Amino acid sequence: MNSPTRMSRSRAWTRHNLFRTWFDGIVTVVFGSLAIYVALRLLNYVFVTGRWDVVRRNLKLLLVGRFPDDELNKVVIAVAVSVLWGGVLVGLVIGRQRRAGTYVERASAPAKHVGLLVARFWPILVAVAALLALSDSVGPWIATLVIVASAVVGRAGGVVVAGRVSSAPSPVKAVLGLGLVAVPLVVLVALANVLGWDEWGGFMINLTIAAAAIVMCFPLGVLLALGRASKLPLLKASSTGYIEIFRGSPLFVLLLLANNALEFFVPRSIAPGVVVRAVIVFTLFTAAYVAEIVRGGLQSVPPGQDEAAKALGLSPAKTTLLITLPQALRNVIPAQIGQFISLFKDVTLAGTAMGVFDLLDVGRTITKQPDFAGQRLDVESLAFVALLFWVGSYTMSRESQRLEKKLGVGT
Amino acid sequence: MTDAAVTQSGRPPFWRNVRVLRWVFQIGVLAIVAVVLAWLYSNYRTNVARTKIPTNFKFLDRPANFEIPGNAMSQTAPVRNALVQGLLNTLRVAVAGLILATVLGTLIGIGRLSKNAVVRTLCTVYVETIRNIPLLLLLLFANLGLVLQVLPRLTDAWEPLGLAVLSNRGIAIPWYVGSGWALLAIITIGIVGGRLVARWRRNVFDRTGTRARTGLWSAVVFLAAVVIGWIAFGYRVTTPEVSQRLTIGGMRLDPSFFALLFALVVYTASHIAEIVRGSIQAVDRGQDEAAQALALSGFQRMWFVVLPQAFRIAVPPLGNQYLNLIKNSSLGAAISYFELTNVTQISVANSSPPVPAFALALAVYLVISLVVSGLVNVWNRRLALATR
Amino acid sequence: MSTPTSATGDERNNDNEVNADATTMVGDREVIITLEHVVKRFGDFTALSDVNLRVGRKEVVVVIGPSGSGKSTLIRCINRLEQHDEGRILVDGTELSDDIRNIQEIRRETGMVFQQFNLFPHLSVIDNITLAPRQVRRMPKREAMALGTELLERVRIPEQAHKYPRQLSGGQQQRVAIARALAMTPKVMLFDEPTSALDPEMINEVLDTMKDLATEGMTMIVVTHEMNFAREVADRVVFMAEGSIVEVGTPEHFFTNPREERTKLFLSQIL
Repeated sequence: MNSPTRMSRSRAWTRHNLFRTWFDGIVTVVFGSLAIYVALRLLNYVFVTGRWDVVRRNLKLLLVGRFPDDELNKVVIAVAVSVLWGGVLVGLVIGRQRRAGTYVERASAPAKHVGLLVARFWPILVAVAALLALSDSVGPWIATLVIVASAVVGRAGGVVVAGRVSSAPSPVKAVLGLGLVAVPLVVLVALANVLGWDEWGGFMINLTIAAAAIVMCFPLGVLLALGRASKLPLLKASSTGYIEIFRGSPLFVLLLLANNALEFFVPRSIAPGVVVRAVIVFTLFTAAYVAEIVRGGLQSVPPGQDEAAKALGLSPAKTTLLITLPQALRNVIPAQIGQFISLFKDVTLAGTAMGVFDLLDVGRTITKQPDFAGQRLDVESLAFVALLFWVGSYTMSRESQRLEKKLGVGT
Repeated sequence: MTDAAVTQSGRPPFWRNVRVLRWVFQIGVLAIVAVVLAWLYSNYRTNVARTKIPTNFKFLDRPANFEIPGNAMSQTAPVRNALVQGLLNTLRVAVAGLILATVLGTLIGIGRLSKNAVVRTLCTVYVETIRNIPLLLLLLFANLGLVLQVLPRLTDAWEPLGLAVLSNRGIAIPWYVGSGWALLAIITIGIVGGRLVARWRRNVFDRTGTRARTGLWSAVVFLAAVVIGWIAFGYRVTTPEVSQRLTIGGMRLDPSFFALLFALVVYTASHIAEIVRGSIQAVDRGQDEAAQALALSGFQRMWFVVLPQAFRIAVPPLGNQYLNLIKNSSLGAAISYFELTNVTQISVANSSPPVPAFALALAVYLVISLVVSGLVNVWNRRLALATR
Repeated sequence: MSTPTSATGDERNNDNEVNADATTMVGDREVIITLEHVVKRFGDFTALSDVNLRVGRKEVVVVIGPSGSGKSTLIRCINRLEQHDEGRILVDGTELSDDIRNIQEIRRETGMVFQQFNLFPHLSVIDNITLAPRQVRRMPKREAMALGTELLERVRIPEQAHKYPRQLSGGQQQRVAIARALAMTPKVMLFDEPTSALDPEMINEVLDTMKDLATEGMTMIVVTHEMNFAREVADRVVFMAEGSIVEVGTPEHFFTNPREERTKLFLSQIL
């Protein structure tokens, strides 16, 4: 019954999408066979001809740099705690939305739910599969299990906490809020106690620098945006100057400058190490871009909002803080994520410009090890590094598109 | 009541006067900024005094003590000359990159909207792959993986049709021999002539309704100008050939130039493609329907109705991508392409003072950025006026 | 209607209104809003030229006139959404000046309802209403919620408290906006074309709410095109054109026997 209509439908699709005209047919055949050829070559490379030993033997170096072997469990715990923390945050947001009635429930059947999760996070699954396939001990398996479990627990726990906390007295809320802020700091300091930041390396240092710069550039960017959007001439001029100078400068040159010359601008006693230097540059640089994004958001809030708040007697500061800024920030969440993806990718520049031992730098170094030198393993090594970056930023950009639809904002 | 009104009608005390408060607030903020800047500056003075590193720009006149491959610049030439060469190399890769990235990006952007599923999918895969990989990684891949690994040694270089020489020592392509300025003049004459003819054809179209075919006519005029000029000035073409351990004739492009150009074009094109696609989709569907209702053909709908509007939407973000490409050319330093940043870095390593040297480089990039964004703004304004 | 209209027969052109007791009284009412020689310019364009108006306590003044005549600018000047360039504006004895305290005080004492509602989309209905009492008047949350609920009952939509503005119809949104303004217990309510953005079937529910307010004795200045509302509710009607007040009078005078040619022309066009 069903199959003939389905057949004719798929035939109609084929004709419409692949063979509309004779020219279209030729294009389909030529590009189609080219694509199949490339895909086959790629599969052959990945599973047969690729010499992945250089990655396999240096997996630890690529992921966590020179972190001591017997302290690796601490890294796993740190990641698990961070994931738990992230899960709690997501859970809290969803819990609040549920109470407000703005959360859209979907797919109640568990099988379907898992299917949707796989469709959403398949790049991460690919990366984890690759990592596990390349590892030759049981440690990574346990680590993966712990991390996944803490993500699930955090997400579920966050929803529960959100329900409980809404009726809790405000001191409890304050303590919880402080705890949430403190968690990442505690994790960071605990790890730094094992090995100083400047000795960190691998993917871990990329994620740390990116996260630190994201957190710090955001408030600075918002302040600059408010400055540039304000009617006060001096404030506007100086914010505009800052934004345009940083947006007109190549990040790479700024990093070189900080590497070669930062010690001239601070007392010798507090001259920071490479990682802190990198974080400072990324913060100052990204803040200028964040400012432009937030300014766009402020312009998208109708002027009536500001007038209504003023007419109610709210002071200018409260009008901004309670009315215009929340709406502006909500409107630009996708653009912000886009900027943060750029930052995530740009951290690689710190490897070349400052000698931070970042993932890409590790990838270049390992091909020069005595065991692998002169064997032209650059492609294998770079491909693995590319996979990790691609998974990170592709997942973020897909999540941002999802969020964009959900919030009904953006272009 | 009224008494109260009268007493309050005078000027308020300054600490409640909004005009005064506004300025107090601004000056307060600026004062904090000024204190920070002053602190940085005083640290700079102290540290410079301690290390006796110069703060002026006299280093520009000192000998560079290094060579730039491909340039006949001696080691004793001043740093200034080296920096100018670096700037020229930056502009060279930027101009070539802008043109190629625009072409490739536009094709892929339109491809993403193709009715053909294969083309659509391939373009989507391209964009989603390249966009999510760091540019530096692409650059290293182009340098280590493609140029240095795939291309053969010079002794067994590829010579397709005997026109070009491809090897890991560089890529040599056919080039002209003759005056560059004259060639520029010829091309300018060709373009101006083409535009004049196009205008004449449009007049004919307006008067008679005969099809204008402006593209065909101006192409013919342009080609005619170039061919006549070419013969008149006695230009020749040289093709490169391998001779012992180097290529002679033609134009040799450094391997690092090629790698940088490749990475910049491939990366920027993925962003431009998204802009092109978004702009075409952003044009109101009603516009296409209205054009259809007027019985315009598919090409006419695209060319006269959709593209002009899409173009206007695309210009500002396109300008940003152009700026990014120019700034990203500084990554050439990572693969030893001798552009401005690399030359600055090397001169600092050869004992030029770091702060003035990098400040100079930043200032140059800033000027380039301002010029380009100024041009984009002018372009944008003209479009806005024309298609309002 | 709250009071007989005949007593407020201040029908002279406002320019002549300079005698002593006119500065404190409008008819038998105490003056609450005074505009004296108010001028407002936008660049070269003069939006208000030498406007004089007094509004008494519990009086309902309806401002009508062609678009671009300065009606909206007039009421936006009263709470400093626009800053007037010349003249004086006094609200309940406080003059609008550069004194930040006076500006905040006047904004607290005047509620405003906008043509486009301007509800805060990121806040629920009840949060929209309680925001200002809590933030400006420092009212405890419990008290503010009680006040909000009461106000929602007054504008007849108590069941919508936890919805978001976009989930409401236009008429409901405008009633929430009225409740939001009332939450500050203002002495004066300013309405800037409150029904112009509404679908026709929703206009009456908003006008009814406004009539209730007038009955309860609220001082109101209403910019509107709803002539029936003006006829029924207004104590006085002000007709503006090209930035000046052309004619002021009771609705009765206004709609049956206007004096100025300009007014007659306008009324003949819209009635």
